[in-house]
Amino acid sequence: MVKIRIYVRRRVRTSLKVKIVSASLSTLAAVVAIVLMFHVLGVDPLYAFNRIYMASLGSYYGISETITKSIPLLLCGVGLAVAYKAKVWNIGAEGQLLMGAIVSGGLALFTPLPPQLAIPIIFLGGFIGGALWALIPAVLKAKFQVNEVITTLMMNYIAERILLYLVYGPWRGKEVWGFPFTSRIPSYARLPVVPGTRIHYPTLIIGLVSAVLLFFMLSRTTIGFKVRVIGESIRASNYAGIEYSKIVILVMIISGGLAGLAGAGEVAGIQHMLRKGISPGYGFTAIIVAWLGNLNPLLVIASSLLIASILVGGDAIQISIGLSSAFINLFNGTILIFLLLNYFLSEYEIIVRR
Amino acid sequence: MALKGYLSFLIIAILFFAVGFGAGYFYMVNEYNKLNSEYLELKEEYNRLLTGNFTELQEAYNELLQNYTQLKSIIEEKKIKAAWIYVGPIGDYGWTHAHDVGRRICEATFPWLETAYAESVSEADVERYIDMFISEGYNVIFTTSFGFMTATIEAGEKHPDVIFFHCSGYMRRPNVGTYFAEFYQLYYLNGLMAGALTKTGKIGYIAAHPIPEVIRHINAFTLGVREVNPNATVYVRWLFKWYDPAGARAAAEALINEGCDVLAFTEDSPTVVEVGEEYTNKGKPVYTFAHYSPMYQYGKNSCVSGQLVHWEVIYLDILSKIYTGIYNSTNLENVDYWWMLREGAVELGCDYGMPINPKFVPILKSKFVIDPILGNVSVYDLVFIRLRQMSEDTVVFDPFTGPIYDQDGKLKIPPGVRASHDDLWNMMWFVQGVVGQIPG
Repeated sequence: MVKIRIYVRRRVRTSLKVKIVSASLSTLAAVVAIVLMFHVLGVDPLYAFNRIYMASLGSYYGISETITKSIPLLLCGVGLAVAYKAKVWNIGAEGQLLMGAIVSGGLALFTPLPPQLAIPIIFLGGFIGGALWALIPAVLKAKFQVNEVITTLMMNYIAERILLYLVYGPWRGKEVWGFPFTSRIPSYARLPVVPGTRIHYPTLIIGLVSAVLLFFMLSRTTIGFKVRVIGESIRASNYAGIEYSKIVILVMIISGGLAGLAGAGEVAGIQHMLRKGISPGYGFTAIIVAWLGNLNPLLVIASSLLIASILVGGDAIQISIGLSSAFINLFNGTILIFLLLNYFLSEYEIIVRR
Repeated sequence: MALKGYLSFLIIAILFFAVGFGAGYFYMVNEYNKLNSEYLELKEEYNRLLTGNFTELQEAYNELLQNYTQLKSIIEEKKIKAAWIYVGPIGDYGWTHAHDVGRRICEATFPWLETAYAESVSEADVERYIDMFISEGYNVIFTTSFGFMTATIEAGEKHPDVIFFHCSGYMRRPNVGTYFAEFYQLYYLNGLMAGALTKTGKIGYIAAHPIPEVIRHINAFTLGVREVNPNATVYVRWLFKWYDPAGARAAAEALINEGCDVLAFTEDSPTVVEVGEEYTNKGKPVYTFAHYSPMYQYGKNSCVSGQLVHWEVIYLDILSKIYTGIYNSTNLENVDYWWMLREGAVELGCDYGMPINPKFVPILKSKFVIDPILGNVSVYDLVFIRLRQMSEDTVVFDPFTGPIYDQDGKLKIPPGVRASHDDLWNMMWFVQGVVGQIPG
């Protein structure tokens, strides 16, 4: 009897050829899987692809909605990329986004802001809100070695409850007939948008600028070098005399603050009020965005657009194709699985030996 | 690090784009070819007709064609494409399910109606769903969650020719109307039965969100309970969610542990009815009242009655009025449906046509209360007298008739006065007999 052994080994170096082959293979596999799914449900796959494409990238409206959806994903994703680079596993971007939304919404609603300065102050408040919320688990990790995966995750729920308390309680608007909304924020505190779309471009510009700045911080500065050393090995960084706790606090402030900015953008640019349902899980989706962008802030720009286009295109599944909402999850999940397959194929090699 | 991983990413992005674009292209080519071959056939036919001596026939044909196109365009113009946007899954067996039943009845009733729906739409995404339905040619949009209110109004401003109806809100525009099937009369009737059935004098209420709609229902239920059983109290637990089977189960079990033996609820699953049935079958009776959908099948031994909705009554009325031109995109500013028993938009019971589970009829017939007007009357008779009074054209009875006191004993509705629509819409206080607080 012949024994067949299968080994999985990390590649030392990935050649261009391997990259092209693995990317093509996984995309092809994704397309085949989705075609099969549509076929089983009796939908013409060509028609389905056409509608999904038109809804996300194939029309002016689709592109504008994809960009709108990518803004919070970009801001959260860039921050998470930096944190993960330093092996700080921040799962709390959702909560940090909500705290940013709460602080900026509170500033817009209850403080007499000078109209010219309102928008900068709102953004600043959003950053501080998110950063402070991230600082708690950061300090717990830096000083007491508390596992940040647990604390950041749990603090998402606390932030959500605080938001609920405020909109059901003291911040509930006077004229909203008891509905759990705040009043609408004054018009001078609302973000300008690209005419005819919902793209609140100040937030988009902040996202793009912070992606570029963080890219240079990581690749060209001493702090970035320290982050990368920690990312390679925490023990090595200790030998190199890098103060791990300081870096933990720094990256958490950055990623929390950027998530908070995303929250400020959603409140001042989209919702114009505080309420539950500000974020349909942007902070969690951003985790995938960060990894898909290989933890590289510049690539996160592209990956946030890619994920946003998949999310927006998924709408067409219900509206134009008439399949149930469960199929959207199936569709998104299938694409993500095959994107991970690409990562696996390009990073590892499979050896079959007898 | 530079741009490590850049290439494979770029490749993926390009491939995805290529697939989307390619599929779109091939689809278009396909469609084009189909059309082209149809066109060629027609052309051939036409040429054949031209070359022959069929001038008379051709004239007749042209006339017929003209009439046909005219007729067709009239029919097409009169077609209504209506889309429903739901907050939950249509399988929730509560709110969204009930709306979808209404939609399907409309679709089956009107030959000129085409419908579509989107389920589980998040409040952050609803604007895009509205825009996309409109770009697909839908000209009537129903949004069925209070969280969709501002987005619906904004969409109304953006698309002034489209007709919108928002369920459960208070904001209207010339092209945005509102509608609601109101349950407080049914909760009051359920309360009468609950008051008669409790042995511990403690009744539980599992509530979704602390908003006036739910508070009004808790109050109406409690008024019914106290009319039959003046010492009974109603314990409230909040879920802060419309659909939360796990939370509803935990809340129900906590209330039972505190001594509650009758449960009513506002939550979009049959969980509470199932919990009641489990306890009843184990020999510890816990009686429940179904919410929104016929839940008798989940609680044959324990589900007493409940609240059923007939959204189709409202939807059929709205759509036929749009079709006949009574409603258009300029006159909805004051169109607000607030339909109850009288209009047939709601029904008492835990299954259609069954106001009270037969198992509970004897016990309700054996409990008597003394009513200032009706005298000594059984709870069973009282329920049906009140049901009739509230179903008649002139509604001669309303549960929210004073004197009604709040939890602190303060008089909120003076004797002989009925709460107004605005009082009911703004209700943010509990009546006497409710144990629990309104958060905030």
